[in-house]
Amino acid sequence: MTAVPLRALRAREPGSRRLREVSGKVGWTVLAWVVAIAFFLPVLWMVLTAFKPESAAETWPPRFTFSPTLAEFRLVFSGWGPYVTHSVIATIGSTILVLLLGVPAAYALSVHPVGRWRDGLFFFISTKMLPIVAAIGPLYVIALKTHLLDSIWVLIILYTAMNLPLAIWMIRSFMLEVPSELLEAAELDGAGRIREITGVILPVISPGLVSTALICVIFAWNELFLALNLTVTNAATMPMYLISSVPQEGLYIAHLSAAATVASVPVIIVGWIAQRSLVRGLAMGAIK
Amino acid sequence: MAQVRYVSASRVYGKNAPPAVDALDLEIRDGEFMVLVGPSGSGKTTALRMLAGLEPLDAGRVEIGERDVTFVPPKDRDIAMVFQNYALYPQKTVAQNMGFALKMQGVPKDERDRRVREAARLLDLDDQMLDRKPRQLSGGQRQRVAMGRAIVREPRVFLMDEPLSNLDAKLRVQTRSQIAELQRRLGITTVYVTHDQVEAMTMGHRVAVLARGKLQQCATPRELYDNPVNQFVAGFIGSPAMNLQTVPLTDGGARLAGTVLPLPAAVRTAASQAGLGELVAGIRPEHLHLANGSGELAGEVLLVEDLGADALLHVRLAGDADPVVARTEGRTPPAPGQQVTFHVQPDDIFAFHPVTGARLAG
Amino acid sequence: MTVIEDLAPPPKVEVRPRGVSRRERWQRRLPLLPALIYTIVVTQIPFLVTLYYSFQSYFWNTTAPAHFNGVSNYKTVFTTPAFRSALWRSVVMTAAAVIIAMILGVALAVLLDRKFFGRGVVRTLLITPFLIMPAAAALVWAGPMLDPNFGLLNYLLAPFGVHHVAWLSTHALGSVIVVMIWQWTPFMTLIVLAGLQSQPPDVLEAAKVDGAGAFATFRELTLPHLRPYIELGILLGSIYLVNVFDQVRLMTNGGPGTATTNLPFYLYQQVNYAFDIGGAAATGVVTVILTIIVATFALRMFARVFRFEEAV
Repeated sequence: MTAVPLRALRAREPGSRRLREVSGKVGWTVLAWVVAIAFFLPVLWMVLTAFKPESAAETWPPRFTFSPTLAEFRLVFSGWGPYVTHSVIATIGSTILVLLLGVPAAYALSVHPVGRWRDGLFFFISTKMLPIVAAIGPLYVIALKTHLLDSIWVLIILYTAMNLPLAIWMIRSFMLEVPSELLEAAELDGAGRIREITGVILPVISPGLVSTALICVIFAWNELFLALNLTVTNAATMPMYLISSVPQEGLYIAHLSAAATVASVPVIIVGWIAQRSLVRGLAMGAIK
Repeated sequence: MAQVRYVSASRVYGKNAPPAVDALDLEIRDGEFMVLVGPSGSGKTTALRMLAGLEPLDAGRVEIGERDVTFVPPKDRDIAMVFQNYALYPQKTVAQNMGFALKMQGVPKDERDRRVREAARLLDLDDQMLDRKPRQLSGGQRQRVAMGRAIVREPRVFLMDEPLSNLDAKLRVQTRSQIAELQRRLGITTVYVTHDQVEAMTMGHRVAVLARGKLQQCATPRELYDNPVNQFVAGFIGSPAMNLQTVPLTDGGARLAGTVLPLPAAVRTAASQAGLGELVAGIRPEHLHLANGSGELAGEVLLVEDLGADALLHVRLAGDADPVVARTEGRTPPAPGQQVTFHVQPDDIFAFHPVTGARLAG
Repeated sequence: MTVIEDLAPPPKVEVRPRGVSRRERWQRRLPLLPALIYTIVVTQIPFLVTLYYSFQSYFWNTTAPAHFNGVSNYKTVFTTPAFRSALWRSVVMTAAAVIIAMILGVALAVLLDRKFFGRGVVRTLLITPFLIMPAAAALVWAGPMLDPNFGLLNYLLAPFGVHHVAWLSTHALGSVIVVMIWQWTPFMTLIVLAGLQSQPPDVLEAAKVDGAGAFATFRELTLPHLRPYIELGILLGSIYLVNVFDQVRLMTNGGPGTATTNLPFYLYQQVNYAFDIGGAAATGVVTVILTIIVATFALRMFARVFRFEEAV
């Protein structure tokens, strides 16, 4: 055990091998960045165009330098009021409803499962496979007859049904991850069903609930088909505002880009912040 | 046919962290069963992984059969490894698991099948089991499949990383002897990592004791037991552990429990040369002999652990010394609360430097 | 109108302990009921109504009340080439988008599954297309990206001899599919990446010691491990992409001609331009029946995923 300074003994790799390793690493990094930027480019271009004056947006060759202006954003913010309100209400309302219905249902399919839990779960998943578009005509008629047409409720109700299967599925997988010792300990401590959910399960799965809620928010916020068919003005949402920002004539590309940016940014930012739990939620909901 | 050599091999994980393996020099002979043993964090697994090529070296080199393999990728080292959690391929059958390395070498299918069957027979894995998936097997069967995967290769070196730690106690003892037997029959150089000193003592031809990344001592089990080079090895090898007490030196011996333990002359000389006023005395539990009132060490029994064949006495010696453990015959152990005395042979007392822990020659 | 009856009964692994009392059974069922009833009411009733209207003649732009007209709506469905071509286009669009997105997703996941400079940023950039509003994506692609006169793509491809291609007129279907792929590749990447990261590292080390190179390890060990993740990604991707509407409506409006008219857009046209509730209902019923046939296979896949879950 003689104390030889480490540096003197530093293992020397053959130069060519080290070179190959380093260049391989650099190549990998460069490739990853190129691909990522390629995928991000349309988004970047959208944001850039949103800051252009209308005259600089439709040029050949495309302009990369220009004096940025907030004019189009101002225009968007002056007109988006009702749309964004409807979107927020429909998104948050349906997400809350999904969680209120989904948590007990997932509980009944996992922790103390009902007899035919498998069939139950398949039923929920199968509703997701029936194309909602197939029923759009009758849905219109039903909404008309129940006076729900062009009301925010029709969106809340349908978005809830749209997101519920995926949510139940994800929440169930998170509940399965709760260690059974924890549940048994709670039972020994005399906790009833309600306390078991609120006191033991919910705190443990709360990160999972967050990612479930996020998925629901993304799908509800971005939904266009139902909104387009079943609402006109009283409940028109952000995607519809986006469509209305495309005029029949004149230059509109900068305005469109600003509207698209504004409409997408809330979900993008939420998704960025929560990307880790999102990945986990998707994969966990997926397999485990 | 391969010996293995570590030459000043080091591995440092963090910039400012102490080395996980610190300038390890170790030579493993051809066909030898070498056990690396130490507490967690001692660097034993890292040392094994350096040999496997799964962990790069920051300094020094590793040789297998005279050849420097420091920068050779694992697949070209001709080694086989048994992992702690077996690392079986979950989607492959037992036979495919065992034959995978051969398939990668391009061995024809017939030959592969033959060798897999041969290895399976060696390990008492019956034919139906060969078509199962790992998750359908019990822990003991998985362990054997992992062994089989290593054997089929007929590698130059076996590497085993705590292969028994996931088995229950009884199966562990059984498998322990099977592995040792198998290794003797195959004669393949084996490096075996464990934290269990009983495993190390019973299996290894030689045992290398590691602590905090440094090799403490490498010797036969008997030598480690009889002649530990320092306090760490003395305390680590042997079960129950050696009783170690810091004791003041007096003329002719060391003062313990109100009496003077005689120390061999060589130890006394070494201590006085080092200018020590005290030293660490070590006595193995089996060297404390019950002596009906006539022994030099007196104390009160606190607790009796009856193991059947023998019993362990936890005794508080007279004075303020820490309790010691003594091994005694199982039939008629003293009862808790009883006063007992012990006799110790001077030759059975180990003495260590109180600061460095080095053995004081005895 | 659900698909569960068609399922081959999965092996009955009874999770429920025997001898659960009647009271206990109801206690277990109770939390499930609200979601179950809600889903039945909101998703099944419209389909029953669809079934009803499919035998009616009903145009919602007229005041004439609906009246029974037998199977004539169905006759129209099966005799109209438009339906068949829309159906075929749906299949092509979904299959092409899902398969290509999955292949890209696997490649990108492998690319991301190691440490390199700025990995977090790269991942953040990559998932953005999945988060962006499909309507926004469609409009941005149709305008700033693909426009023949000022689109960025033509500019970027100009060095390769591409000049002012009107993508949405000449390559309409391909353009729509590209946007679908662009939006769903990140999703596939995320799922496959999760699969890659769940592979135990010691198994990969064992493969290294066993002499497997990177490619052999991927083919022999990683791909089988990823299989349930890939199946899941394909399944979820199909469910969402078969309903794709926003891109078709906003990029090409189904055109040129009917070059990009898929089933959802065709139904939308029937309701909103032809005002034909009865015809749309019949189309819907046929679509649902076809979906049930496809979904039965898909659900079998789910059943496999679940067996996997239990075996782990």
